[in-house]
Amino acid sequence: MPEPLRLFQPTSIEEAVAVLAELGDDAKVVAGATALTLLYRQRLIAPGALVSIGRIPGLKTIEVVDGELRLGALVSHREVELSPVVRGSIPVVADAFGKVANVRVRNAATVGGVMAESDYASDPPAVFVALDAVVDVQGSNGKRSIPASEFFVAFYETALEHDEIVIGVRVPVPPAGTGAVYHKFVTRSSEDRPCVGVAGVVRLHADGTVADLRVAVGAAAETPQRFRDTEALAIGKPLDADLIAQVADAYADQVDTLDDMRGSAWYRTEMVRVWVRRAIESAAAAPAR
Amino acid sequence: MTAEDTVAGVTARAVDGDGRISITLQVNGREQRIQVRPHHTLLEVLRNELGLTGPREGCGVGMCGACTVLVDGRPVSGCLLPAALAEGHELTTIEGLEGPNGELHPIQQAFVDHTGFQCSYCTPGFILTSKALLAEQPDASRDEARAYLAGNLCRCGSYVKILDSVMDAKERLKG
Repeated sequence: MPEPLRLFQPTSIEEAVAVLAELGDDAKVVAGATALTLLYRQRLIAPGALVSIGRIPGLKTIEVVDGELRLGALVSHREVELSPVVRGSIPVVADAFGKVANVRVRNAATVGGVMAESDYASDPPAVFVALDAVVDVQGSNGKRSIPASEFFVAFYETALEHDEIVIGVRVPVPPAGTGAVYHKFVTRSSEDRPCVGVAGVVRLHADGTVADLRVAVGAAAETPQRFRDTEALAIGKPLDADLIAQVADAYADQVDTLDDMRGSAWYRTEMVRVWVRRAIESAAAAPAR
Repeated sequence: MTAEDTVAGVTARAVDGDGRISITLQVNGREQRIQVRPHHTLLEVLRNELGLTGPREGCGVGMCGACTVLVDGRPVSGCLLPAALAEGHELTTIEGLEGPNGELHPIQQAFVDHTGFQCSYCTPGFILTSKALLAEQPDASRDEARAYLAGNLCRCGSYVKILDSVMDAKERLKG
C-alpha cells in the first residue's frame, strides 16, 4: 500500500505556510477541493499531504476599500456571483464567476483556488487580467502582491513559490463611465468550459474617442492573453468599426492558439477575432455606472 | 493504532493502520462517526459507509449532478468533495427529505405526480437542487429554474416534465 495521504488542517496562514515550507511539492493546498479532487481521481497528481485551508479565518471577505474590490481566497464562486458588493462595484466580476460550470461547482470552488490552479480554460482569470487585478500571496518570506497578468505562467503553473498560498485578489474599481464585459463562447454545451473567453474594458471620452481599452483573451492559449501595445494603438482614436476590427485582427494574429476538444487552433484564432470585436462593441455600449 | 504526525507544529489528522482518519459527519440530522481515507469522496462515503444510495455516481467530474448533496442547504457535487472536508456542515441527501412518518416531501410528491423522471437515476439530484433553488428563489420562474438546474443532466430527456414538477412544487411549498 502506498504511504497514506496525510491531512493537515491549519488554523492560520502562518501554520499553513510552515507546513508547505517543510513538505515542499509533496503537499497540495486545498480549499473547495473541486480541482484537486478531479486531478487526484484522474491520477494527474499524487500528493503525500493535503493542506486544507478551510479552517483559516479571515479569508472570506468581500469589500470595497480604497477604490478596489477585495476578494478573500476562500470566497466561493457563488458568493462572488451573488454579492451585492461585487455587483455594485464591478458587475463583470460577478458575471464571470456566475458563468463558471454549474451551481454545485460554484458553491465549492473558491477565488483562491481558481487562481492557484491556473487552468487555461477557467473563466475568471481573463477578467482579472483585463481589470489589472493584483493577487496577494503569503509565504515563509511574508506577503507579496503579484499582478494577475504575471501570476499565470503556463498550464497549471503560477508565479507562486511552493510555500506560498493565495490569500486574496484585489481589483481596482474602474472609473465611472467604464464599460466592462466578459463573453464566454462555448462549443459543446451551455455549462462547458469556454472555447474562448474574452474580457473587454472600454471607456470613451465625450467625443467618442477611446480613453481606456483593455482586452484579455482566456481559454485560447496557456494563459490569459493581453497585448498592451495593441491596446495602446486605440487610445485617443474614435472607436469606429475600423479601429475595432484592427484590434480584433491584432489579437487574432498574436494569440498562439491551442488545439483541444473544444476547438482547433485555426478555429480558435477565428473565434478570437470575432469575440474580441464583440467584447469591445458591447463594453463600449455597456451602461455606464 | 494511531501515529502522531506533526510538521512545523501542525499535527496531521491521526491515521489508523489502514491510513484512515476518524471523522464526524452530520447527515440528515444525525451524527455519524466513520473512518475514511482523506481522499475518499463524500459520495463514496455516503454510499459505501453509510448505505445512503440516493446520491449516485454519473460522470464523476462534477458535470451531471447525480451525486448532488446539500451542504448547509447548498447543492455541491459529492464526487468532488473529500468527505473529511464536509465535517462541521449539515449534509442532506434525498433520504433526509421525507417526513417523520415516511410521507414524501412536497417536491418529491410533485415529481411523482408529474412523472418528472423516466429511469430516475438523476432524480435525487434534481430534487435536491430544486429544493435549494426554491429556498433561494421561492418565486423562481420557469426560466430561472431552467438556468439553476442547467448543471443537472437527465439522459432520458425528461426535462419538460422535470420543469413541470418544479413549477408545481413551488406552488405546493407556498401552501
